[in-house]
Amino acid sequence: MIWFHGVPQAFDPYTTTDVDIGDYAFGVYDMLFGLNSKLVPQPQMIGDWSASGDERTYTFKLRNGLIWHDNTPVRAADCVASIRRWFQTPGGRLVDQRVQDVSQKDDKTFIITLKEPLGLLIDQLAQVTAYPLFIMREQDAKRPPSEPVTTHIGSGPFKFNEELFVPGASITFDKFEEYVPRDEAPDGLAGGKITRVRRVIWNDLPDQQTAVAALQAGEVDFLGAPPADLYSLIESDPNLVLEDLFKSGYDYFLRMNCLQKPFDNVKARQAMLHLINQEAFLRVINPSPQYSRPVKSLFGTGTPYTNDVNTEWYKEGGDPDTARRLFEEAGYTGEKVVILDPTDWGEAHNASLLLASELRKLGVNAELASSDWAGVVARRAKTVSVDQGGWSIFISSATDFQFGDPTTAAWMAMNGEASWFGWPDSAEYEALRAKWPDVETLEERQALAREMQQVWWNYASLVSLGQVVSPVAHRKGLTDLVGLKTGNVPMWNMQKVTA
Amino acid sequence: MGAYILRRMVSAIVVMVLVGIFVFLLLRLAPGDPAAMIAGRSATEEMIAGIREQLGLNDPLPVQFIHWVRDMLGGDFGTSIFAGRPVLDLLSQRLEPTLSLTILTMLLSVTVGVSFGVLSAWQAGGFVDRLLAVFSALGYSVPVFVIGYLLMYFFAIRTHWLPVQGYKLIESGVAPWFVHLILPTVALGLGFIAFIARVTRASMLEVLSEDYMRTAAAKGASSYAMLVHHALKNAGVPILTVIGISFAYLIGGVVLTETVFNIPGVGRLVVDAINNRDYPIIQGVLVLTSGLYVLINLTVDLAYTLIDPRIRY
Repeated sequence: MIWFHGVPQAFDPYTTTDVDIGDYAFGVYDMLFGLNSKLVPQPQMIGDWSASGDERTYTFKLRNGLIWHDNTPVRAADCVASIRRWFQTPGGRLVDQRVQDVSQKDDKTFIITLKEPLGLLIDQLAQVTAYPLFIMREQDAKRPPSEPVTTHIGSGPFKFNEELFVPGASITFDKFEEYVPRDEAPDGLAGGKITRVRRVIWNDLPDQQTAVAALQAGEVDFLGAPPADLYSLIESDPNLVLEDLFKSGYDYFLRMNCLQKPFDNVKARQAMLHLINQEAFLRVINPSPQYSRPVKSLFGTGTPYTNDVNTEWYKEGGDPDTARRLFEEAGYTGEKVVILDPTDWGEAHNASLLLASELRKLGVNAELASSDWAGVVARRAKTVSVDQGGWSIFISSATDFQFGDPTTAAWMAMNGEASWFGWPDSAEYEALRAKWPDVETLEERQALAREMQQVWWNYASLVSLGQVVSPVAHRKGLTDLVGLKTGNVPMWNMQKVTA
Repeated sequence: MGAYILRRMVSAIVVMVLVGIFVFLLLRLAPGDPAAMIAGRSATEEMIAGIREQLGLNDPLPVQFIHWVRDMLGGDFGTSIFAGRPVLDLLSQRLEPTLSLTILTMLLSVTVGVSFGVLSAWQAGGFVDRLLAVFSALGYSVPVFVIGYLLMYFFAIRTHWLPVQGYKLIESGVAPWFVHLILPTVALGLGFIAFIARVTRASMLEVLSEDYMRTAAAKGASSYAMLVHHALKNAGVPILTVIGISFAYLIGGVVLTETVFNIPGVGRLVVDAINNRDYPIIQGVLVLTSGLYVLINLTVDLAYTLIDPRIRY
């Protein structure tokens, strides 16, 4: 079976947040716990687990039949080393702050001892928002995350075929015959990962037009992200299916540099909230209205914490008059606003062009700093003023799902210098965010989310540009694909029916 | 001749040293950070800094340059930052598709281009000449990707005669290898056919008006003998020059064709490396490609002596 799928450039899930790494890692590695389709953690590599009465000692026992792709058994020591490596990433930081010790009890059992109870422990072990806890062999996991693992040996349902690997162009995954799936039915990232195909080949898709042509000609079975302007072509082909597996989407946003003028002034940041006409931005990001929607909540559109507190700023079509007034109140006097424009990322590039145009209409001295994405990531790390090579705004995106976890989504923090690029600083917000791990019920967390959102939009370090859903395209003969809110398309469960 | 070759070799080394310094500095001075590219879009600065340190990107530039030159002189062109594999391994993996496409395109371009040029010159001003002039103008002016998509539509999607995309290694069989290269070769070759045909025509017309050609005709030489044995041989030097230049252009020009037809060749390797700031790959490939250019130029210069005995170095 052949897929057109982005081929990751870097492969260590503890090192990279590359968007293509997830599907690779879910195939090759396994996790202690997996989120089901309702985003509730379920045991995956774990057979039994228990918590002590004081909720400070958690004992985990691996289920039977877990084997590495080099045919050695998975041991508790591997899990301990992987967890310790995970602690060194932003994904494992919260647990690391609370943990007293992680130790191996016997070959199949390990213990996590906490300094104080952490209600979110199992959720954190299962989280896939940023740097998920994939279990690696002990010798691999002993490397620091800054030193990428160079092997591809996991215990997941698919083996990485080294011989057929062409870096940057093609990856071949073979069914791992020794993998023992769980007995439960497949459900999101949980349940039985049953492999129904012998081999899956990912080919990179440098040209989208060619990719769709190859899909039409039956040379490939799956296309991960077809271009929006070819949706109608795909829908008109009786042999093809355009399917919204995602059930969620990518939320685009602009981030402002809160350290430099004019966005060091809260009024100027609030002006941007009122200026943005999300519908217009969505049209330049994805021309199909049925696959896009506005985003008003800090917590996205489809997470359990989505709410409408303090969203009065949102108006269909935007509100340039209010934006102009707020820029005046901010004392804006024509300072240069530099927008980092990644020309090799079509959606963000289009949005950057529109943003510059909208700002200029308002009388803002907007300037595009065009480069490839590599240029953007280098420049966005600079805290200095625009005259010294700094920046004012850049555009990025994340899955809607990621907005549901403010403890791991880096851009949802406002802790000053330690914060993600833009460096917002709000002690009030951070005090609320610190409560997140210890809130016990969903209702209480939803209430906390509303409080956080009240402060978040008042501070306005980030402005939503809207949400875009990316349907996948595939041949009709490819069935039973698993859809996830994380945006990943795992390779298990699916089957290819030949006519 | 020996002294000439030696002189050219020395100048080639100077060129390579200058290319090395230029490429190294260009990459380091351009904005971009491989550590940030590895870490991904959502990474924190702390994670990026850790990777940067690990990769040795915080070392002073002269130190990095000395390490690179030292390793290269020992035959080590470095290890890809992303793939974690030696650059030469990656290059050898991608070389076959690129060389296959380049050589087939060159063969097609030279045989068809020279034939068209000779035919045009022979029928100068006639219908065939005008027809070939139109073909040359189109072939030279229509971009590769437009020709590629048109060929793909008619010969792959509509008729299913040929595959849309991809590449098969020659070890998997000559037939599948060749079938996968037909469309890319034609798409890439049309421009070069047109170029070589125009130069051949002009060169042939000049030779055909020479006195010795009139003499050959008076002696009753056949058209074939006149065109091929007398005219083409004497028109060969500019044609050979153009073929040499075309070959060099082809190596650089396969990138687009590899992208349109999804061929995992050197062109795409370099484009990906540039996007990711994978310095060792870019440096290695550019130095090796520059060496190849120098070699092609030298070969073409030496080949002149075979075509025109009057040329001596």
